[in-house]
Amino acid sequence: MQDTLAHLKHGEKGIITDISSIHIPLKLLEMGCLPGNFVQLVQLAPFQDPMYLNINGTHLAIRKETASHILIDKITDE
Amino acid sequence: MNAIIQNILVFSALSLAIVFLVKKFFWKKKSSKKVCGSDDNCACH
Amino acid sequence: MSKQINVALIGNPNTGKTSVFNALTGLNQKVGNYPGITVEKKEGICKLPRGVKAHIIDLPGTYSLNASSLDENVVIELLLNKNDKDFPDIAVVVSDVENLKRNLLLFTQIKDLEIPTLLVINMSDRMNYKGISLNIDYLEEHLQTKIALISTRKNEGIGRLKDLIANFKDLPITPCLNASEIDQDYFDNLRKAFPNQLLYKLWLVITQDVNFGKTDRKEIDAVANFKTKSKGDLKRLQQKETIKRYQFINNVLKKGQTIDVSQAKDLRTKLDRILTHKVWGYAIFFVILLTLFQAIYDWSSVPMDFIDNVFASLSEWAKDMLPNGAFTNLLAEGIIPGLGGIVIFIPQIAFLFLFIAILEESGYMSRVVFLMDRVMRRFGLSGKSVVPLISGTACAIPAVMATRNIESWKERLITILVTPFTTCSARLPVYLIIISLVIPEGRFLGLGYQALTLMLLYLIGFGVAVISAYILNKILKIKSKTFFVVEMPNYKLPLFKNVALTVIEKTKSFIFGAGKIILAISIILWFLASYGPGEQFHNAENIVKAEYITQNLTEEDLQQKIASHKLEYSFIGITGRAIEPVIRPLGYDWKIGIAIISSFAAREVFVGTLATIYSVGSDDEETIKNRMAGEVNLVLGGPLFTFASGISLLLFYAFAMQCMSTLAIVKRETNSWKWPLLQLVIMTVFAYIVALLAFQFLK
Repeated sequence: MQDTLAHLKHGEKGIITDISSIHIPLKLLEMGCLPGNFVQLVQLAPFQDPMYLNINGTHLAIRKETASHILIDKITDE
Repeated sequence: MNAIIQNILVFSALSLAIVFLVKKFFWKKKSSKKVCGSDDNCACH
Repeated sequence: MSKQINVALIGNPNTGKTSVFNALTGLNQKVGNYPGITVEKKEGICKLPRGVKAHIIDLPGTYSLNASSLDENVVIELLLNKNDKDFPDIAVVVSDVENLKRNLLLFTQIKDLEIPTLLVINMSDRMNYKGISLNIDYLEEHLQTKIALISTRKNEGIGRLKDLIANFKDLPITPCLNASEIDQDYFDNLRKAFPNQLLYKLWLVITQDVNFGKTDRKEIDAVANFKTKSKGDLKRLQQKETIKRYQFINNVLKKGQTIDVSQAKDLRTKLDRILTHKVWGYAIFFVILLTLFQAIYDWSSVPMDFIDNVFASLSEWAKDMLPNGAFTNLLAEGIIPGLGGIVIFIPQIAFLFLFIAILEESGYMSRVVFLMDRVMRRFGLSGKSVVPLISGTACAIPAVMATRNIESWKERLITILVTPFTTCSARLPVYLIIISLVIPEGRFLGLGYQALTLMLLYLIGFGVAVISAYILNKILKIKSKTFFVVEMPNYKLPLFKNVALTVIEKTKSFIFGAGKIILAISIILWFLASYGPGEQFHNAENIVKAEYITQNLTEEDLQQKIASHKLEYSFIGITGRAIEPVIRPLGYDWKIGIAIISSFAAREVFVGTLATIYSVGSDDEETIKNRMAGEVNLVLGGPLFTFASGISLLLFYAFAMQCMSTLAIVKRETNSWKWPLLQLVIMTVFAYIVALLAFQFLK
């Protein structure tokens, strides 16, 4: 099964593989949320939402709902 | 003489104040319409 | 006089663009509005070498030229309209060394407009700290530009920046990549159809609805009809364009920038762990809010008392020194107390903006947004509503404007509608004077009763705002995508210069904006209170003398009686007594009624009105507060300002929509009269009912 950004746990990393464009506004893409880019979950807010992410070096927060439309491949260290 | 000058000053101050307020709250609305209302680009949503 | 160079400062939010602007212009700046819209327009003058001057515009921060808000629209409109008098001779793109990749997206777009473009890389002082090194020559060559590496914090590189601006004619105007490759056929057709226009400009016009200068309107309209692709196709093409630009940027940075991660020190992670912690995060936020209120109420009371006294003695002095007459009275009873009512705001407003500026500058505000989003969403608001609600404690006008970055229209509308419930600084003088009259001075747990009451009023304001948001969320049937993205900038020590300039600028604009209105109203009120129609007013002296002829009044008491008789039959007295039946159940007399009516223009006029009404007819230097304490309730007997009527008045001011400027701004931001009128009616009726209940229960 394909993982989405919403599945990331604290500190986990991934590579964005696809985005379903109807749900993702251009602004997010312009901030670096594009296929092929690296993403890491920096922190979850209290109540597990929104998500504080490092995407391609840019730090931003988005809601889980939006994150669930961004497909990723998780990277496992070691 | 003094009283007349004082009265003139009072009324000019008063009319200045009224003109200012009318301009501020009523005249401005008209001018903004020209820029904004004519094309639907004003709203930012 | 030599021609000025027009410079436009453009950049992403959080790149220190405003710091660059401040470094270039210093105090030679002014803030206004773009005509017809309420986007802040900051411009200033910068002296360049050899006597050349540059006129600098600080454009609103934007992530790209694809506008999604009114603020961002301003940027495109200026850059696309060659006939605009501010059309830049040179575009200066400000970027931040740590976010170069993202910042360069906007840069490549502006390069496509073929305007001489200069790249400023700011915050160079952080390069060592983050292990970043740059190959400037390589970057200049491949980005087709000149680069100024500066640090506004350390004040380095500003001289070179000025030199580069002065020599803007040497800058290449060729684009640095060919974006039309994403769909060559489509763009070739476009070029054939409009051979005289810039291709990228056409593309921007097609993909978004921007308002352009009237001159090339017709031509642009023709282009806008050239939509041979569906909306979905266009959006896909925009995505391709973005990806293409990032590919180019990645390639350039691969050689132009090296980052040694092992060198990087990470303050962000450590601070974030505490500031967004599920317990500590909220606790710290609460402490900050408490400190804010302490500053407004406690710390600013010293300068405020001082200002109050200065104006009281100034009035006295004017009366003694100037020749007797109507204008002297206007000065001493109308203008000077009116001015005093404005100046007394300065300490509180300065404190408020100081706090907000520091929180914004340091990057902390984004953490609050992050922390509060989930909580606020339960009430139909967004995490970003926190900023308007906090700014609302200064003034609802900037607060309503601060809602612009809320992406969801429903969340934004609800925020706009409930923001006026938060306690703005214009309510403060009203609260302060009433609290000091009706709340005793004792202390509870080390906190004064008066300070506690004030804090309670703030909490009530927030509480009602949040509850009405909850209700609105249930009632309003608006479908809009819930979408939310907020950048989490690096933590920075706020720059003193930036904070100071913000505080000065905001305080100034508030004092002069609201101040002129207050002054004008004071003059009119004084006139209405000092003149009147009919026998009762003109013959007041004889009538009163006849009435009290049997009593042996002192000359002073008699004069007092005459003055209040005159006031009662003046224009203002007649109006006031006409509305008295409506407000009597709330515990107010006609003088308070007048103050309430006049404060529909702006709340703070309340105190000024009472000052004017009371000082007409008083000859001594007593302050307004003492005069108010001495007022007698003619129906019930005893003092007019009791605990019951005081609380009723406080609650009325807490809820009533008394601000014409806010209504005007809401009309503009929602583009309809429906919402501001709804606000006006509902809030005022609610305020009346609550005040009525309070007075009747406490009486």
